[in-house]
Amino acid sequence: MAVAWIGNRETLVERAAAHAAALLGSSRCPVFSLDTDIHGTRAAIALAERVGAAYDHADGAAVSREAALFTDKGAMTVAPGETRRRADVVVIVGELPQIHHQFVGELAETVPDLSAPDLSAKNQREIFLVGSNETSAPRLSNGRTATLLSCGEAGLGATLAALRAQWRGRQTSQPVSNFDDFAKALEAAHFPVFLFSGDATDGLALEMLQGLITDLNRKSRASGLHLPASENGWGSALASTWMTGFPLRTGFARGFPEFDPWRYDVARMIAAGEADLHLRISSSIVQPKKKRNRMALIALAKTHEPVAGAAVTIAIGEAGVDHQAVVYSSRTGSLRSVDARAASELPSAATVVRLVASHVSAEAALPC
Amino acid sequence: MLTKIAGGDIIDPVNGRLGKGDLWISDDKIAAAPAAGAADRTIDADGCIVMAGAIDIHSHIGGGNVNTARLLLPEQHAAHQARPATTPLSNAGWSTFQTGCLYAKMGFTTVVEPAMSPGAALHTHLELADIPIIDKATLAILGNDDFLLSMIRDDASSTMIEDYVAWTVASTRALGVKVINAGAAAAFKENVRTFSLDDVVPSYGVSSRKIVKTLQAAVGSLGVPHPLHVHCNNLGSPGSADTAAATIAAAEGLPLHLAHLQFYGYGTEGKRRFSSAAARLAELVNATPEVTIDIGQVMFGQTVTISSDVMRQFSARGSAQPKKSVIHDGDGNGGGIVPYRYGKDFYGTMQWAIGLELFLLIDDPWRVFFTTDHPNGAPFTAYPALFELLMSREARTEMIAGLSPSAMALSTLAAIDREYTFEEIAIMTRAAPARLLGLTDRGHLGAGATADIAVYRRDDNIANMLGQAAYVFKDGDLVVQDGEITHYRWGKALRLNPSPDKAMLRRLEDYHQQRYGLSLDWFDFPDSAVAREQPFGEVACRT
Ligand SMILES: [Zn+2]
Repeated sequence: MAVAWIGNRETLVERAAAHAAALLGSSRCPVFSLDTDIHGTRAAIALAERVGAAYDHADGAAVSREAALFTDKGAMTVAPGETRRRADVVVIVGELPQIHHQFVGELAETVPDLSAPDLSAKNQREIFLVGSNETSAPRLSNGRTATLLSCGEAGLGATLAALRAQWRGRQTSQPVSNFDDFAKALEAAHFPVFLFSGDATDGLALEMLQGLITDLNRKSRASGLHLPASENGWGSALASTWMTGFPLRTGFARGFPEFDPWRYDVARMIAAGEADLHLRISSSIVQPKKKRNRMALIALAKTHEPVAGAAVTIAIGEAGVDHQAVVYSSRTGSLRSVDARAASELPSAATVVRLVASHVSAEAALPC
Repeated sequence: MLTKIAGGDIIDPVNGRLGKGDLWISDDKIAAAPAAGAADRTIDADGCIVMAGAIDIHSHIGGGNVNTARLLLPEQHAAHQARPATTPLSNAGWSTFQTGCLYAKMGFTTVVEPAMSPGAALHTHLELADIPIIDKATLAILGNDDFLLSMIRDDASSTMIEDYVAWTVASTRALGVKVINAGAAAAFKENVRTFSLDDVVPSYGVSSRKIVKTLQAAVGSLGVPHPLHVHCNNLGSPGSADTAAATIAAAEGLPLHLAHLQFYGYGTEGKRRFSSAAARLAELVNATPEVTIDIGQVMFGQTVTISSDVMRQFSARGSAQPKKSVIHDGDGNGGGIVPYRYGKDFYGTMQWAIGLELFLLIDDPWRVFFTTDHPNGAPFTAYPALFELLMSREARTEMIAGLSPSAMALSTLAAIDREYTFEEIAIMTRAAPARLLGLTDRGHLGAGATADIAVYRRDDNIANMLGQAAYVFKDGDLVVQDGEITHYRWGKALRLNPSPDKAMLRRLEDYHQQRYGLSLDWFDFPDSAVAREQPFGEVACRT
């Protein structure tokens, strides 16, 4: 089975890696976009330092919004396990990525195990949804629906602001729907938890949500459960943070890591024609966008054929399918080891990236 | 390979070796002088002192909370130096790579991350594995987790509790056990805002004292070499000296380690009702031989506090500087990140003085440990300056001149003459930590010991001397020359490996299914997940 191509020509992995290294070595502004596991990320960052590249998640905007919540403001958060054990009121904030719907469903089907007597009487968690009539909510069991907290045509940020103001007893120009139910639930709640993601929620809304959580904590407890837009993206952000001190959208253009969420937005760098070489690491096959410039592409992907338009394609396996891996798990809120579900010969992203890096001349061994 | 470190002043209190002489290294071990034959390599240590590599028993160097602190404060650790040729990523500010390099330059070769959340064990070990050169170890946090609190509430047998502690230590690859504000994080989830030794956790009916005593007994029975590592209640509050005193009394003849005692050295005298209780605590420590403590010295400047004492961090949020923080309710402890700037005002001066008083008033260097609770009291990069303060009364006097006189009036520091000797430094930072952690292979320079060696060129400026070692060897590899890292190597995480009880494994499997809807293997990992050749080194339990 072919696993490496230079252009459309099949070749040995070793040759493809050497060619990729040569392209990286002569690139003026290489950029990496990642959708990979922890060890793939570690290898990519070590390579980025060596070739002076900037790196980002493949779908960087949402991950960047989530990181910005922490870099700019901080947050109150709770672990998913404690959410399951304690949340007597669950508030879904905006639209959550599909990958989290099962967990929300589980919250609807279970009760806190430290439940207070008044809750056990009803024997279910109260579930709310902040959004609009168009917001699609995870499907709940037994035909239950989340109680909608909306504010006419207002966006999520404005709705959360109105919710916060009403909770503080202030007048709002447009009241939030079902506010009285919400207020009653909060009054009785022991540990309300707000589920949030950077996927469809902008920075201002995330900040407003944290303001509301802070307000609630003056007299009682409440917290937020971060359900990342992308588990790979958040895992990469964590690994980047321990390796460089900074989350994604960090670049080594000047030889040391610099974090700049605008400048090192890789999608922006590509669109603006700043980047002249793109290394894309993603086990899923991404159909390349129509080429707008002469930027070269090195594609590491789970593929049987060369990626259209790529200068180099090398096949990699999928983390947790073809090979054992460490990934971020939103179910545990931490990193987790996953076995290969269907082990194959396909190498991991980390292995291939290291092979490429080994062809870039350097004095020192790779740090990982 | 045979190396001779020639003609240095050897300071090895464990083996009673003090004075000029040669030290031999054969491969990765310290060796006796060979009867015949020449060294393959000779290091001229004339004018230098030669000690074992230093061991830090309490420094927050990696894991979920440390990483969240990095994430919270990107503006605090911008790098400015270009890519180093031989040590990739070592110039990345506050990275794992930089951490290993900075420690090694000071002659530290083993560092303990004292607050590993069991649920984040894999994350913690991945970070530690990216800390180059030095060996690492972790303490696993227990005492706010539902499984333990439920067992105590239900009067589980001590064997069952020991089985659970053993499983936690084994599965998280820890070297010991830490309890952080026992019961308070669980109580905080039920909206309790202050918590003392005899307060009771709602829903469990278990007191903080009971949790501490239960874990102290389990750790002892299992033969875990390091005594239970206790972060007491009421950290940082005026009057917390009473809590520390009560916890010291609760040792009741069995080993107990109290972390960062400085943060509990606070009385309520003076018009600000904040004063030094260091003399009182030092006297108690001196009179209680089963107790060991580390200091958690405060040094002035910007830092960030990182603690799994989520209740305390929540209440400290208002003092955040810059104004942002993270408070996380975790499965057990969770934690809080609050950036903070120690100023030379009344409070900062008081804290600084209390730490030094404790260092200087506790007589036995085998029972007081050198820490800043990095980064809580100060980053570990302040160690050279702190050595100087301990070893030079003159340096203290100079410093005091620029501090708050009203704070100094409430402290005995200015009247203390004591200056630590190099021999005492060698005990406090080498011999004693090795003994406290059960690491018989290090902390001394006897034949057969791991060749972790720090050589410092004598200098009147103690901070310069101890801040940049002339030579450092780790496992016999020369890793530092003239204060610069010469190459990377990958240390291990030292761990205990008690075999878990089968019945406990079944119980835990059921528990995780029921509580989290997940099987136990979601929380476990194989060594290979860490992706280093030999990520762990095994340390034996006492038998
Ligand atoms: Zn600490």
